[in-house]
Amino acid sequence: MVELTINDKAISVEEGTTILKAAQQNGIHIPNMCYDKRLRPYGGCRLCVVEVEKQPRLFASCSTPVAPGMVVKTETPKLRKARQTVLELLLIHHPLDCPICDKAGECDLQDIAYEYGKPEGRFVRHRKAAPPDVRGPLVELTANRCILCGKCVRICAEHQSRGALGFIGRGFPTVVQPAFGEILECDYCGQCIDICPTGALLSKPFKFQARAWFLEEKETVCSFCGCGCTLTLGLREGKILRSRGKEDNGRSEGNLCGRGRFGFDYIYSENRLKTPMIRKEGVLVPASWDEALSYISDRLKFITNSYGSSSVGAIGSHRCTNEDNYMLKKFMAGVVGSGNLDSAAAFGYTKVQSALGKAFGLETHPIDLKAPLGKEAILVVESDISVTHPVFGLNILQAKREGSRLIVADSKETKLTRHSTAYLKMKRGTSVAFLNGLMKAIMDKGLYDRETISGVEGFAEFEKTVADYTPEKVSEITGIPGDEIVAAAEALAKAKSRMISLTVNHTENTKGSDTVLAAANLVILLGEEAEALQIPADYANTFGAYEMGIRPEGGKDLFDMLYQPGSLHALYIMGEDPVSAFPYNSKIIHTLKALELLIVQDIAMTETAKYAHVLLPASSWAEKDGTFVNAEGVAQKLNKVVETTGQSMPDWQIIRNLSLVMGSDISIRNIGDVSEEIAAMVKAEGQPEGKRAFQPVAHSEGEEPDAEYPLSLVTRDVLQHSGTMSTRSKALDLVVSEAFLEVGEDDAKKFGISDSSHVKVTSKRGTVYLKAKVSDEIPSGTVFTSSHFPHGRVNALTFPSENGTPVTTAVKIEAVQG
Amino acid sequence: MEKFRANLMLCAGTGCVASGTMKVKDALQEELKKKGLADEIKIVLTGCNGYCAEGPVMSVYPDEVFYQKLTVEEIPKLVEEHFLKGRPYEKLMFREPEKKTAIPLMKEIPFFKHQVLRVLRNKGLIDPEKIEEYISRDGYQAAARALTAMTPEEIIKTVKDSGVRGRGGAGFPTGLKWEFASKVKSDVKYMLCNGDEGDPGAFMDRSVMEADPHSVIEGMIIGAKAIGAHNGYIYVRAEYPLAVKRLQMAIDQATEMGLLGKNILDTGFDFELGIYLGAGAFVCGEETALMRSIEGKRGMPRPRPPFPAVKGLWDKPSVLNNVETLAQIAPIILNGSDWYRSLGTEKSAGTKVFALTGAVNNVGLVEVPMGIPLRRIIYDIGGGIRKGRTFKAVQLGGPSGGCIPEHLLDTPVTYEDIVATGAIVGSGGMVVMDDNTCMVGTARFFLEFTADESCGKCTPCRVGTKILLDMLTDITEGNGKEGDIETLQDLAKDILTTSLCGLGQTAPNPVLTTIKYFRDEYESHIHDKWCKAGVCRNLTTFVIDEELCKGCGACLRACPSKAIIGEKKQPHKIIQEVCVHCRTCYEACKFKSIKIMPAGYDAGSPEKAEEVKTGAPEGGTAKGEA
Repeated sequence: MVELTINDKAISVEEGTTILKAAQQNGIHIPNMCYDKRLRPYGGCRLCVVEVEKQPRLFASCSTPVAPGMVVKTETPKLRKARQTVLELLLIHHPLDCPICDKAGECDLQDIAYEYGKPEGRFVRHRKAAPPDVRGPLVELTANRCILCGKCVRICAEHQSRGALGFIGRGFPTVVQPAFGEILECDYCGQCIDICPTGALLSKPFKFQARAWFLEEKETVCSFCGCGCTLTLGLREGKILRSRGKEDNGRSEGNLCGRGRFGFDYIYSENRLKTPMIRKEGVLVPASWDEALSYISDRLKFITNSYGSSSVGAIGSHRCTNEDNYMLKKFMAGVVGSGNLDSAAAFGYTKVQSALGKAFGLETHPIDLKAPLGKEAILVVESDISVTHPVFGLNILQAKREGSRLIVADSKETKLTRHSTAYLKMKRGTSVAFLNGLMKAIMDKGLYDRETISGVEGFAEFEKTVADYTPEKVSEITGIPGDEIVAAAEALAKAKSRMISLTVNHTENTKGSDTVLAAANLVILLGEEAEALQIPADYANTFGAYEMGIRPEGGKDLFDMLYQPGSLHALYIMGEDPVSAFPYNSKIIHTLKALELLIVQDIAMTETAKYAHVLLPASSWAEKDGTFVNAEGVAQKLNKVVETTGQSMPDWQIIRNLSLVMGSDISIRNIGDVSEEIAAMVKAEGQPEGKRAFQPVAHSEGEEPDAEYPLSLVTRDVLQHSGTMSTRSKALDLVVSEAFLEVGEDDAKKFGISDSSHVKVTSKRGTVYLKAKVSDEIPSGTVFTSSHFPHGRVNALTFPSENGTPVTTAVKIEAVQG
Repeated sequence: MEKFRANLMLCAGTGCVASGTMKVKDALQEELKKKGLADEIKIVLTGCNGYCAEGPVMSVYPDEVFYQKLTVEEIPKLVEEHFLKGRPYEKLMFREPEKKTAIPLMKEIPFFKHQVLRVLRNKGLIDPEKIEEYISRDGYQAAARALTAMTPEEIIKTVKDSGVRGRGGAGFPTGLKWEFASKVKSDVKYMLCNGDEGDPGAFMDRSVMEADPHSVIEGMIIGAKAIGAHNGYIYVRAEYPLAVKRLQMAIDQATEMGLLGKNILDTGFDFELGIYLGAGAFVCGEETALMRSIEGKRGMPRPRPPFPAVKGLWDKPSVLNNVETLAQIAPIILNGSDWYRSLGTEKSAGTKVFALTGAVNNVGLVEVPMGIPLRRIIYDIGGGIRKGRTFKAVQLGGPSGGCIPEHLLDTPVTYEDIVATGAIVGSGGMVVMDDNTCMVGTARFFLEFTADESCGKCTPCRVGTKILLDMLTDITEGNGKEGDIETLQDLAKDILTTSLCGLGQTAPNPVLTTIKYFRDEYESHIHDKWCKAGVCRNLTTFVIDEELCKGCGACLRACPSKAIIGEKKQPHKIIQEVCVHCRTCYEACKFKSIKIMPAGYDAGSPEKAEEVKTGAPEGGTAKGEA
């Protein structure tokens, strides 16, 4: 600790702390414009200058570390004068167009000018008047207002690892621009907008929407991925106009990705459901709640009476709150009496949980978004974490910057591979072989505690399985050179601390429970705790829905319900769109068409809703109270920030009403009752004593390409989208609005496909038409696409896996003529 | 080795090459061949001799006769006289301006007589492209001693005791810098050389790199050993192609001979050296910006701490020394710290190289012991002011420096004494200005440079220098207003105290020193709209004092815009409507009959004619008319 004095106050701070941080920690305010705690000290704006006793110069407090016995003054006439001059200089050429600047009212430049400024400047010079750069989507750059603090340049390069903005020119004419002054092409995270101290960088969708002082700010949790960031929503007249992060706020400490910042407008989508609807003579027509619920009640009673309660199933949702899912579970168990309950997690998260249960004997897996920080070695296996979990990705990148060794094995270049210490270029869907290869190398080199580890259950069989995975063989399967595998194994085994991470999301088709088991084996072999393996749940409430019991306990699972036509007579789908989001959709449509009763409860007219007999309008995430549990298992309160749309109601409330209509008193009156029951349930469950066991797994291919279908199709997420829900966001659609097929240069040549042309893609299950994106980042033999877009229908090609193996799909591609 | 009767050390520095060295060389070769002397007399192309004003220059060894202003036409005569008949050729010798007697020996020419050559010890004596010639003059002996017989501590102690300070401008003690870096533990460290000489008019480092590249490399090897670095870069601006070529040649030769690279001289010490070309940004001479530039990033300074000795290039401990500093290291190691201290003062030991330019008779590169008064450099070495004009100011330290007036000319050249005047010793630019110089214009010139070269990172430098420049431009264009001087001073001081790096912290110096010593010029620019030096066009009226005018017609012939009329032997007149204020007539008149008066001055009235004679209007009269 270092003792020093600031403004006559004796304080003590950690060594290496800057004067600015020391002051902030002690409640002393020093004005600044270029400082952000996420970034390296810059010392550019010179507003944070302070006086240090016995030193003639002024010091920039943001970049000067404290020294023992230092006597610092932060407010003196000399400093006031210096800051005034700096501010005067900043304002000479500033356009002072505050009346038409969206930043006005929450602008640092205004605030500091108010604090330090003088009514009139000594210098009269031209005011900058270049037109704003409005070419790119979402972000507008008005160079006039820029004070060149460089925060945007640095947050983009240092923090987001993107580097889309830079300084061009020198001295006074310097401007911030994308490279070569071209159109901004970036992640569209909008972090630069939040960090800009003036109105130089603004959100285009928010432009001229409201003066800052008319905005009412309310907080809630983001509805997209499992990171569970806190959004600060700005509202006017009951409408959400913008979303931003606030420093240190929530799980992400104020960081947001583009989905959280721009994607909220899906709730204003034109096809929101506003009334219940009943299919009459083949057409869905509006109905009253009474009518709809009575209809369902009658039909359900008829079906249970006719075929038994096991002919009714339900699908819950990661988009819905704990309360909603709990009510669905309660309804199915208590009112219908059926255990046929599942969710999209069946394709991903459930597999993870069951695999980890087998490996570590744990009920739920410990996840921490900050796990990467401080780890000596980090291994990421075939996962684009910066896309699926942007904030978790940021922490991995931060760890790398702070010295972690980042090893990334992947089949495609990603942000993580680009910033890795070692990028192991692998063939898609070969993670199990790769992981087995690592373990074989570790065992061969004796880099594990054989005495202890050989006592773990299943070791003998594990050792036998892994023995086949010599560097040569693994190299042949994965395409990674043998010495790189051995080097990675050594780096991982010798590290003092480590993290292994991957994702198993339902929109990805290269990994399954086998991959999780292989990774778990590696963790056990290294003698690590379960925490060393980080497989975060994919969506906002995937974890919560699972915890609420949205899984088949004794009943039919998703595969039985959706892919076995005729296994059910009635299906209740809450907040899910299987026709758009689940693989092999032709089979699903077949199943849905065969149902006697399909109840779809959703916020919008989805593809699935089009097959419904009854449609129930649900309130969106912003229109209700409730709870989301993020990937870490942290329950966070969702706040109702806007009024419900039309006659929609929160899901839990619809189910409560339906129960009442059906004559069951399920003792729930309000959301408080639901929360109480959930609290009691969660309390009753304890984490069992973990018992670890090796679960040897062998490499297996997905659908192997053959002469007719020569390519492997890999589905992956797009950074600007999350599931199918985000595709209703107009803002996000400005960046990416359709599924495209990424093809390597070799294959493009081979199949006569040019960039941006249309391609016919066919698998054994169906045909779709996609736009091609020819890229040198794509290995030959594999094509990539995403499954977000309902109209892209990529899931017409793909298929599900029950047993946990990868499900890469064999396809053929043809150029579309004309 | 072949033996020659005489060696002709022909200067092939950039200045002399520009004056025609290469043609002279061909003519010499031709002539020697013709006269059958080719096997007896050898031509050696040397680096910069320093006496650039008189180039191409050549000294003949062993006679030590010095020839200047060589031309192709004079070569046959020179060869015949000197090398056949043995009579040094007087026509090409140096002559003192007044005495007209030729001075044959280089060491007796005043320009050379007062210099002490340590940094430039090999100038004009060796072929810089041959390592053997460097070695023959004790080259690499110091490196060998440092590597074989000295510990890093001993090297650092010797350098510290010598009192040598960084010659790049700031004057930080070199030994101390090395000590800091040597004490930081790291597997990788860097030894760097700053050859990004950017001050307008300065060419000390270029000359050293061109004339004696091995002296820099040797200094770096010794420094590398001292701090424990095994990698190094020489950062040279790309505008110095000859320096780059010679340095690369020197590195290659030294590597070939085992003086660089792995296991130097079998001592087990490795030092790999590379060259990095700067793209010509002045700010890249600032050490943290230079390191960013080598990293391939935008050359912008970074706040210190962390100091480069702790986190420098690629965040590894690094030492950056200037070319001139490094060139002195080898003699210090060889001769000891006491030897080094035998020249200079207690706090400013040794010698300093200056690029003497401007209104002096002898323009060139000079090396003098520190502590020597400015007056001696300008008058004894520089030969006084050109064309018999009077001295006005000397500008030291380039854009970061200041202007020193006549009454301070006895200031000794030491870091402390020069700083006390408001200027800095700087890297060695020394620009002498005569009474034809406008000091406001001079300040404006330097601010134009710094405003353009500011990297744009910190507010005071980016905007502040631009505002200073704008105000100075206003003043020189006649738009100055009451209070401008005070505003300039006030803003300049705020820029000094709040800027991030040395560029901004010194950029206002030219403004502050010119206001300090030449405030009256600012005042006459602002209040009287009068640039007395006749430089600022909007602030002058040129008139002819009819009593002094002899009607010789010199001005009439010189005037480019035909603004002067008059009959022969009758007083001439300037037509104000046509005059473009170019000052050509003023330079052309031998009778000082052309007077510079304020803008808007009406030469017609009789009172005004009286004023022309006395040379001063009553305060404020002109202002009203402007």
